[in-house]
Amino acid sequence: MKVKTFYLFASLMLAGSAFSQGTAQKFDPAQFPGYVMDEVVVPVPSEIFAVLDKLGDPNWKDELRKLSTPDSSDRMELSLVFGTVVAEGFVAVQAQDKQAVEEIGREVINIAQSLGLTKAVRPHAQSILDAVQKDDWKAVRKEFDQTQATVRAEMERMRDNDLAQCVSLGGWLRGTSSATSVVSKAYTNDRAELLNQPMLVDHFSKSVGSMSDSAKNNRLVTAISKGLVTIRKSMDSPDGSFTPEKINTIHTTCEELLALILQVKKSR
Amino acid sequence: MNKLKLQCAVFCALFVALTSAYAFVDEAHDHAMEAATPFVEQGYTVREDYWNGEVESGQKLAVRHQLFKGNEYAFWLGTANEDCELELAVFDSKGQPVHMERKNGKFTCSVRVNPPATGTYTVVFSVKSKKERGVTWALAYGYR
Repeated sequence: MKVKTFYLFASLMLAGSAFSQGTAQKFDPAQFPGYVMDEVVVPVPSEIFAVLDKLGDPNWKDELRKLSTPDSSDRMELSLVFGTVVAEGFVAVQAQDKQAVEEIGREVINIAQSLGLTKAVRPHAQSILDAVQKDDWKAVRKEFDQTQATVRAEMERMRDNDLAQCVSLGGWLRGTSSATSVVSKAYTNDRAELLNQPMLVDHFSKSVGSMSDSAKNNRLVTAISKGLVTIRKSMDSPDGSFTPEKINTIHTTCEELLALILQVKKSR
Repeated sequence: MNKLKLQCAVFCALFVALTSAYAFVDEAHDHAMEAATPFVEQGYTVREDYWNGEVESGQKLAVRHQLFKGNEYAFWLGTANEDCELELAVFDSKGQPVHMERKNGKFTCSVRVNPPATGTYTVVFSVKSKKERGVTWALAYGYR
């Protein structure tokens, strides 16, 4: 299970407060007497998909992609692919497509095997297959979340933090690609606002920037780093509005990066 | 031989100390999940990822988190330490509080949020013990 652990034993001044006599007042980062943590929990695609469902009735089957089999032994590339496959699982859950979920469940096992994580992932993959047989979509969604969390936790346990970040990145790119596709097909301000995620993009850029030199030199990571700059620029909006053009730029950039990631794979 | 025994003893002591710390942190998450139970019954999906750690009693911490307008969120703060005061609040990008219905339990505190806009929010929290210098904490969230 993925956790963001933080240990701090420092005596900091506690003058002033974001809490006043048990009631929260205003939060001013400049005056905050505590510690703002860097750790970020990246939302799963379902969080944004759930809102899109509330705002309309997207055709999630249209958003589903055909799976392909990994053609790489590069762990960094496999980690990016793993993230995209799990995100595809969330799309399949929205579409309530049993066959797609089963295929994705099997693909998850295949990639986990290539990453040497079969033991950790197999129970989740089995739970996904069991839950889909029972039409328990909520359980399937939860298992995809657990699968991703377990894989990242295993990677971090083995001090492969760069790989763990790649899993998150791949998942976010695929989730954002689907979300922007849905928004583009039925543009409204409410839907477009869901792409207001500059903090997440900054987080990913920072993560890539702090990767090892060998990781940063990976051709996919280099391309993603540049793509994130383009996406971040599209999210700069003084009034928080997102034009169809901005949505299109974010979508196109995600698609281009996903195409690069999936180029390491051959069609089934 | 004596040196070897001493090394073993130090190793064992470190192992026990570290596993105990992790056990307590896990217990903090268990309590957070207890607080989440009634929310799950109301349709919330609990995220598997969460923040946790050990910190000086009363130390205020903050995490920044992405919320989507249209979802309802709940945050659950748990600790493994007894006799603690827990505080938990959520603020929008302008620093205004957006949380509702704060509930406190013996080891937990929870709040609910209907984000007025999609964007970055700040979750501020603290665990203050009446007895101990250090406290464990875990912060989890769910959505519906």
